Amino acid sequence: MNTGKDTLRRSVVTAAVVEDQPAVPHETRHPNPPVTAKGPRKAYRLLASPVLSRPPLLTRDLTSFEKAFYLYQKRLNERLALPFTRYFYYKKGTPSDEEWKRKIRARKAAARDIGVYTAYGPEGWNDEVLVGDRTADRESIMEALARDAEGKDIVENERAGDADKDGQAVTGDARAGEGQRKELQKIVVEGPMPRITEADRTNDQRSLSRKLDRSLYLLIKNKEGQWRFPEDRIYGRENLHQAAERILVQSCGINMNTWIVGNHPVGHHAARFESPILSKISPNRLVSTSNHELEQEEYGEKVFFMKGRIMAGQADIKSNEYGDSEFRWLAKEEVKEVVQPDYWWSVRNMLVVR
Amino acid sequence: MALSEVTTAFLKRFRSAPHLSPSLWTQQCRRYALPADAAAVQETDELETTSLAARPSEKDIERYDPAGVARRRNERHSRRLPRSRYQYKPPRYYRGPLHPHQPPPESDPSSRLFVPGPFSLPRLEQTYHETFAPDYMTMTYTHFPPGFSAPVKGERLRSWIGDSPYFKNRPPRGPRGGDVLRLLRKPITFRNVPKLEKVTVHTMVKAATDDVAHLHVASMVLQSITGVRATAHKVEKSAASFGIQAGQYLSLTCELSGEAMYHFIGKLVDVVMPKIKDWPGVKGSSGDSSGNVALGLKAEEVALFPEVEVNYDMYPPKMIPGCHIFIHTSASTDRDARVLLTQIGVPFYGKLIN
Repeated sequence: MNTGKDTLRRSVVTAAVVEDQPAVPHETRHPNPPVTAKGPRKAYRLLASPVLSRPPLLTRDLTSFEKAFYLYQKRLNERLALPFTRYFYYKKGTPSDEEWKRKIRARKAAARDIGVYTAYGPEGWNDEVLVGDRTADRESIMEALARDAEGKDIVENERAGDADKDGQAVTGDARAGEGQRKELQKIVVEGPMPRITEADRTNDQRSLSRKLDRSLYLLIKNKEGQWRFPEDRIYGRENLHQAAERILVQSCGINMNTWIVGNHPVGHHAARFESPILSKISPNRLVSTSNHELEQEEYGEKVFFMKGRIMAGQADIKSNEYGDSEFRWLAKEEVKEVVQPDYWWSVRNMLVVR
Repeated sequence: MALSEVTTAFLKRFRSAPHLSPSLWTQQCRRYALPADAAAVQETDELETTSLAARPSEKDIERYDPAGVARRRNERHSRRLPRSRYQYKPPRYYRGPLHPHQPPPESDPSSRLFVPGPFSLPRLEQTYHETFAPDYMTMTYTHFPPGFSAPVKGERLRSWIGDSPYFKNRPPRGPRGGDVLRLLRKPITFRNVPKLEKVTVHTMVKAATDDVAHLHVASMVLQSITGVRATAHKVEKSAASFGIQAGQYLSLTCELSGEAMYHFIGKLVDVVMPKIKDWPGVKGSSGDSSGNVALGLKAEEVALFPEVEVNYDMYPPKMIPGCHIFIHTSASTDRDARVLLTQIGVPFYGKLIN
């Protein structure tokens, strides 16, 4: 308390002392007076640009070497593993045991995706497929699995022994003389959805269901007719992360569920204009800045790219506020074809290969 | 077609080391005598051509039939050589580095220790490389401006300071505040993005004290859900209060890595976890503070694995065990590991302890 009072008194005293001194003119107090701006500010145009991508939804196609290698390893495994323990999985004399016996007679090995291959026989060494063999292809494997699930053999063979019984079953009470073979309802296994979609066939570059095993990037055709990632100035005190979210809303509408990954840019692009451009920056309605229009003489542009992911929804160019006319979802090599060469040079390393 | 896409550089890795025969030595000596350009041509030829890069002619492809050739030869010569005359068998025991009969490396299919695989390229592994790792790097990027030098931290292990003669040559003192020397967390770069390293599935079957069948069933369950043979472990110390004695086999573990691990985590996250009822997620405090996270599944949750579900009746009732799943990541803190697992799709609940 005492000290508080003391300081108060002292400050009052100093104030009085200051009052007593003659008033010093304002100019002499500041040896370096602020430079009053004459003309517009000179600067680079500072832009933020969200790089919105849809990650691959499907696994990639295997190379021919990978296919051959995996098939070889599967067959090798069939040779080296212990035989399938049938009685652990199927009780003796049950229908499923009979079915297993019928199937294994046709395909020779327990695995369904390695073609007809006798692992334990005298020709087990012949485990490599010949040139042009399609056993390891995705379609062949899917077909074999589907056939197996439908109760057929994995390959179309001539029927031998009781193999012609498949698809039929004994109905009624056999002892009462009712037993007769009757066509069962055909089991049809629904395969997976096709990897090639309608958008792939028509090459609909505005669709998100195109090229499902690749990353697609959102590009926009701007006022000047150039293809670029959506971009806009950074206003006021907003940061790159906020700017990226705002630009997505203002350029492609609110019908997108997006996520800006991280607070740091993943790349940047700098370019100089041929001659300085005098541009008037009007305040943005979504950012709190001063309401005055700002004039700026711009010598070039600096674009900072923010990585984003789309979770759901689709871009909508109708509500665009920047005068952009078109949008496309493009894979990396397609981006190269549409953008300017210098833009591609700054952008290429931040786009993933697949 | 099958192997034509493989690059020569890739194939070179699979070639065995060249055996230097006397003729090769003389060839090399002769090469030095040739004019420089001729030597260069020879060398590039040797590097760039492989028998696999060029596609064989259609005639050769049609004619090539190793199995048929062998079959015809066997028909012609009724007496076949015994297998021991042509099939290489590695030595049963390793007799030291000086023994003339050395076993082949483990990667050689003729080795006794050879394990076939991998058989596929798991979806989760692809997604990790294409999506998770780049996103992780963007999220955890820390920017160091030019000229930045990290502040010097105190020594982790303190030295003994004083003039006591006993301080001389003493090992350094432990860290302040405890005995545990925590792992260092380095900034994430493209080199050290955390990844899954290993998964250990563990179960302790208490009921095996009375009936060893429980252990066998648990072993089969673990083997079918992980694809890896389970290892049984002995009890080390008797505990009369639990009714267990040293020497009893009561627990099982499966160590998964690589392909099996990715398939297992993929199944767990995409198939099993969504089906668990009233499950809040993995506890946020889980972790050993060096980047390894553990979770537990009850017996009814283990039964949700597709491999168990398809033939649930095969397992004796009430014998399916619960299990612990230890996920080892290359992250050095729990927080980093949790970010990785969240990306993969593991939900966490409660207070997150780092």
